[in-house]
Amino acid sequence: MLVRFWGTRGSLPTPIRADVVRRKVIAALMVASGRTFADEQAAANFADTELEFPIAGTFGGATSCVEIDGGDGDFLVCDMGSGFREFGISSMERVGSGPKRTYNIFMSHMHWDHIMGFPFFGPSFDPEVTIRFFGGHDDLEQALRRQQEEISFPVPFDWLKANIEFNKLTPGEVIEVGGYKVHTIKQHHSHDSYGYRFEADGKSMVYSTDSEHKDGNETSEQAFVDFFDQADLVIFDTMYSLADAMTAKQDWGHSSNVVAVDLCQRAGAARVAMFHHDPIHDDEKLHSLHAETIRYEELMRRNRQLEIICAYDGLEILL
Amino acid sequence: MDWHSETRDQALVATPKGTINHETADAFEEHLIPALDEAGKNNSALVINLEHVDYISSAGLRILMRISKRAREASVDIRVANLNDCTREIFQISRFDKLIPVFDSLDAAVAG
Repeated sequence: MLVRFWGTRGSLPTPIRADVVRRKVIAALMVASGRTFADEQAAANFADTELEFPIAGTFGGATSCVEIDGGDGDFLVCDMGSGFREFGISSMERVGSGPKRTYNIFMSHMHWDHIMGFPFFGPSFDPEVTIRFFGGHDDLEQALRRQQEEISFPVPFDWLKANIEFNKLTPGEVIEVGGYKVHTIKQHHSHDSYGYRFEADGKSMVYSTDSEHKDGNETSEQAFVDFFDQADLVIFDTMYSLADAMTAKQDWGHSSNVVAVDLCQRAGAARVAMFHHDPIHDDEKLHSLHAETIRYEELMRRNRQLEIICAYDGLEILL
Repeated sequence: MDWHSETRDQALVATPKGTINHETADAFEEHLIPALDEAGKNNSALVINLEHVDYISSAGLRILMRISKRAREASVDIRVANLNDCTREIFQISRFDKLIPVFDSLDAAVAG
């Protein structure tokens, strides 16, 4: 199972600015300290092995969109944040002149940062494409139509040529989609959100974003521990510190890195990917939060190590 | 959960022992609530002495936050003392050190 992150930011896109790139270049030059490189490969090796991630790369700024790459099979995507546009372009390149494939899209919820990529989704204009939406909300179609009303967008939903269907999911129900067994859980968020567990070929991935673990009710927490059980990867909303999530940001519908580690350790998950990054956090801050979360896992570890990943746009994880 | 309470000067000192996680969080809260009530009646501060606590997970931190909010409503000062290296890091990582006053010693916490 190959998981590909097209957008990892929460709330709104945060593109990187020229002055930030300039600072990265300067920092890289300072690390290079006058060295010369024989060729591009030598320079690439230097960047990969001697530059920290905030200097050589970026966590990116596209909002939530995660793909499970099924090879030549149908596409499967979670959420349609701004990263969904690039996913659409990539998918069309992968299809090329081959037979059209179905897009299976699982929606956590319809807040703006999770649907804003859809109006820019190229395949939706192809009459030979089928797009199947899955989600727990009754008003998913309404949300997508509304964002393409003329007051907000020049291309109405009815102009889309693809075959589009909406499938309502029920928490606790297990369905088979595109070769995956899919489980659904309801989450605490404004107007509700839903998490999904995907299983295939002995591997499992959980997508659980925009989920506030409010008050730490043990019955509710155990339900998530069960949902994450032995997962190879849990994608988890770590937008705020626990302190913020319980005070200034209470009821904002998000969670924290320490809750992510605690629940995933209890569940015996193999990896957790920090996700839905706060737009105010730059690359250095996210890198620092990643290090802190790794340290928290070390402090709290009682048996199996939980690998801590800080998701970034473009990250691929092979399970 | 092993628990010890005592009054020292103008503070009620509550001393839990062991680990505070999802398994012991309820017990932690069950001890803290009456301690808070007593501190309020006596116009004392509530000092939570974590000297004998190995580590505290998010479940325990949430209880601390709930108690802290109740303490604010009851106009009771709440303080934490004697974090070990592990619990100190946990407070920093969770940013709880920004919310609840932390003291390096019981004497300092009692004195406020």
